[in-house]
Amino acid sequence: MLWLKNVHLLDPGQGFSGPASLLVKDGRIAGVSKQPFSEDEVLNILGAAGLEEVSQVDGEGKYLFPGLVDAHVHLREPGQEDKEDINSGSRAAVKGGFTSVLAMANTQPVVDTRALVEFVRLQGERAGLARVYPVAAVTKGFQGKELTEMVDLKEGGAVAFSDDGHGIQRAETMRLALEYAKLTGCPLISHCEDDSLAAGGAMRRGKACARLGLKGIPASAESVMVARDALLAGETGGKIHIAHVSTKESVRIIRAAKKLGIDISAEVNPHHLLFTDEDVQLTDTSYKVNPPLPSQEDQEALLEGLLDGTIDMLATDHAPHTWEEKMRPFAEAPFGINGLETALAALWQNFVIKGLIKPEKVIELWSLRPALRFGLEAGTLKIGAPADMVLFDPNRRETITPQSLESKAQNTPFLGKELQGFPVMVWVGGKPVMENRKIIGKD
Amino acid sequence: MFYENSTRTRTSFEIAGKILGADITNFSVAQSSVNKGESLLDTAKTLQAMNIDLVIIRHASSGASEFLAKQLRAGVINGGDGQHAHPTQALLDFFTMKERWGDFRGKKILIVGDILHSRVARSNALGLKKLGAEVVLIGPPTLLPPEMSYLGVRTSYNLDRELPGADAVMALRLQLERQQSGLFPSLREYNRLYGLTKERIAKTGKDTIVLHPGPLNRGVEISSDLADSVQSVIEEQVTNGVAVRMALIYLLMGGGTGNVVA
Repeated sequence: MLWLKNVHLLDPGQGFSGPASLLVKDGRIAGVSKQPFSEDEVLNILGAAGLEEVSQVDGEGKYLFPGLVDAHVHLREPGQEDKEDINSGSRAAVKGGFTSVLAMANTQPVVDTRALVEFVRLQGERAGLARVYPVAAVTKGFQGKELTEMVDLKEGGAVAFSDDGHGIQRAETMRLALEYAKLTGCPLISHCEDDSLAAGGAMRRGKACARLGLKGIPASAESVMVARDALLAGETGGKIHIAHVSTKESVRIIRAAKKLGIDISAEVNPHHLLFTDEDVQLTDTSYKVNPPLPSQEDQEALLEGLLDGTIDMLATDHAPHTWEEKMRPFAEAPFGINGLETALAALWQNFVIKGLIKPEKVIELWSLRPALRFGLEAGTLKIGAPADMVLFDPNRRETITPQSLESKAQNTPFLGKELQGFPVMVWVGGKPVMENRKIIGKD
Repeated sequence: MFYENSTRTRTSFEIAGKILGADITNFSVAQSSVNKGESLLDTAKTLQAMNIDLVIIRHASSGASEFLAKQLRAGVINGGDGQHAHPTQALLDFFTMKERWGDFRGKKILIVGDILHSRVARSNALGLKKLGAEVVLIGPPTLLPPEMSYLGVRTSYNLDRELPGADAVMALRLQLERQQSGLFPSLREYNRLYGLTKERIAKTGKDTIVLHPGPLNRGVEISSDLADSVQSVIEEQVTNGVAVRMALIYLLMGGGTGNVVA
């Protein structure tokens, strides 16, 4: 049993932001109050015989919010455990304030059978930190041809379907997937990338790319497929979620599709809001990411889309890679930025502190909305909700170092840089999993 | 270390080094071994351990030479990296033009061909602009996309319109595989629009010199009669390449600084 006092509660799910106290019993929220609880009230609500049974946490000067839900992470297990595994990825998640994560299916083998979905879920339970929700493949073996057994996969624990890592090139495959997924009620997450336009590119096509002499990926490589998928979702009445939106045209298409009532949602990755193609250097492959870092103009459209509701949520696209893989010439290194442990702090430092995004909005975008879209029991701290909570110190500053990261990988542009705004305590189901920046778990 | 095929650049560096009395080891690598075998980083460390003083690298990846320079104590000369830069080629081109003119100011230089994929065009445009020349990049839109404007020089799709007044015309090698990728429809049409011939060069109305970094596709980007004419300085470029590379090696070894590598 837990009594949280003097926190500033950020809970857009209850439309609340302000001083509050919370009580937790049996892993769930038992009481929320704007006024401080008296000791009698605490004992009464929790059904405790005495205060010695109740852990007390004073959150003076700190925010408390529902654990963040990340709709897009790559935990690399099974098969690529040299980059990350579900245990290390879960540690990274809770350290960064994420209590629920959607693990993408582009592992080896691809998560396209119920046995594999259940394995991912089980590994998440074994790690016992963040809640790990498997995303299953749309097509068998990511071949873009035959659909997976979506109903069976959902029963095994999949909460969405995606061939993320690859765009589904055949429009008819996408159309059929949108139809068939109706049996599950789960959204399809589309990684929009037309291979014929993107093939072989290393960064966003434009002046910076021409200057560095790299092969470019035009913005249209993403946007033509966003348009296609929006049309197909409209035609089928299917449910689509656009992963990692990175161009102004994609934002415009999604905005128009929403006006037409198409069941479309979208996410943006913090790195696309924080860096542009002009930041790319040939000798720092931590800036190599797919979709590639946008132009300034695209970046402005992303922020506008995020603030006006066109883009529904933030997601990290946590993509760990080994040092060896990234320590190569730019064109040869793999795409991906390690995000779980730095994303919230980076966003906080660069947007919230500067007044561009309100703290309440961050929680709405990174907890409430993804929980609602993917049907997870998360995203709010109402009475009865799971006590997945983050106590967040907006003033805490940390320098990101290889030693400070729980992730196995260090492919982040923030390495060696100082960020501000970090979780100091995290609970999942009422159980503390991180305290004073240290993971409480096995290992 | 030549990770890409190269005859003239590699031989030119080798001869330059030999004339200066350097011991040269040729680390010729097929490009595929980058992925299959040793990483560039490990290769760099190996060289480091052998106390090599100077590395010359040609690599298909943009930034490979900078990558190596960051890892090694030895000097590194970029012998061409991806589409990014080919500084020694540009320097030998400048030297060849300077020998003719003495000064670049008021000179108009056309660079013609596959600008998008050309490290030679990039390095030349940047340097010539700095030297005060007027540079015009010319090619079909598919090989001269709008983002090439980053170089800050004029671009044009029309060779014939730009020829009058040109003091030098540099043809770039056209990689014939680009036709399969759809970047131009045929050699015939490419040659019609951008092929350099004696008649065409006459339109400059000047004693224009013609450059080409080699190897030539005779009859594609340049006709044989022009390539072998007195206007062509292609062989001078090759000769000057040795001298320029000798100078670079000498300077990087500490020449003239009293800090010469033992």
